[in-house]
Amino acid sequence: MSKSKKVIVVSNAFLLSVGIENLVLELSGMLVDHVFNGSEKNLFTKISNKKPEFVIIDPISVADSLLKLIRELNQDRYIKIIGLISSSTNQNIISMFKHTLNIQNSKYELIEVLKSIVGKEDKIISQNEQLLSKRESEILKNLALGLTNQEIADKLFLSIHTVMTHRKKITRKLGIKTVSGLTVYALMNKLIDIREVERRD
Amino acid sequence: MLLEKEMKLADVINHDYNLIPVISRFGIMLGFGDGSIENICKEKDVNIDFFLTILNTFHDPQYLDRKYLKNFSATLLIEYLQKAHNYYLVNKIPEIECLIDDMANKLEVNKSSHQLLQKFFEEYKEEFIKHIEREEKRVYPYAINLEKSVVKENASPTLLSQIREYPINSYEAEHESVEEKLTDLKNIIIKYLPSSDKQQSRYKLLKELAVLEKDLHDHAQMENLILVPKVEVLEKIIINQDLKNNNK
Repeated sequence: MSKSKKVIVVSNAFLLSVGIENLVLELSGMLVDHVFNGSEKNLFTKISNKKPEFVIIDPISVADSLLKLIRELNQDRYIKIIGLISSSTNQNIISMFKHTLNIQNSKYELIEVLKSIVGKEDKIISQNEQLLSKRESEILKNLALGLTNQEIADKLFLSIHTVMTHRKKITRKLGIKTVSGLTVYALMNKLIDIREVERRD
Repeated sequence: MLLEKEMKLADVINHDYNLIPVISRFGIMLGFGDGSIENICKEKDVNIDFFLTILNTFHDPQYLDRKYLKNFSATLLIEYLQKAHNYYLVNKIPEIECLIDDMANKLEVNKSSHQLLQKFFEEYKEEFIKHIEREEKRVYPYAINLEKSVVKENASPTLLSQIREYPINSYEAEHESVEEKLTDLKNIIIKYLPSSDKQQSRYKLLKELAVLEKDLHDHAQMENLILVPKVEVLEKIIINQDLKNNNK
């Protein structure tokens, strides 16, 4: 699975924050990282330290400091701000948000809206993500044969850091983390021969 | 749902089947009748609060955050953890082994892939047994010893040197590999093991692996979040008691 997108929630209401966490879980690759209370001090600094992709704000929880918070968050162009509104929310407040979720909507209405806000950029990449690159197969072979990261780095003239990065990518693509698991995969897919493994032992 | 002692145990089991192996660790077998949790515990001489806390922890892992389990003695906790070990070794592992063998036997094609899987599980099993043995022979007796010494306010020199040389935090982080191998095994079966006509065994196997995975995960959480911090506190108390005694 690709890296999760971080969502920060600003809300004092337990029922709302639990609901949002559940909603966010419906979309793969997204995760609520933290829920802040709207009355916390230095809220902007705390939020931006978490480097979120999305901030979902319950306007009632921040009360008078809403405009200030939105202005501060807007300085970071990587953050998308989403306001939680209802039919009784003041029009002035609604207009402060580029994106909104209406808390009175049904589950799948909310999912549709959230999906359109999140965008679709990731979908296309994930198709190619399953296949191992040539380099990755080569590293996988050597891992399966029992070589350490350092030995592989020396053999293929790579830095150990590069080997580890490739290794993380292999694990992400295959869903297999341990060396014995990778060995089974390599053997099943005839990347290596059983006799090579036995020689190792 | 929060489980409470007034509830009927039968309703609780109907609500969450994953709790069946858990109740059996307390000596409560299916066919237990129509009683409330409280009544059945009394009948079987089971500590109600502890039983309820364990049930709630397995039912909703977030329950662990409330740290209720910390109020129980390490000895009680270990007694439970050992019963869980026994269940893995006597029931779960052989069951899974059987299913894997069943899937691999009498195959016309893709025989070697299935043999690889058997070998992988064999390795996993060995590692798992070693891990359990180490906990039972070293970690658990150590924790129980600590607890006894705290009560007596007198620790033996052997125990003191053990605290200094092999404190509990020198044991941690071993669960990871055992959990990772199980996840790998599941993914290999779902994605990469070439298909055969033994689909039914494969479904059963996957289901069993998923159940074991969850059980083991909750088990490890209990050790890491409850037992280990508890032992760390005991270690500190004993070291302080010892310092005081020496200053007298």
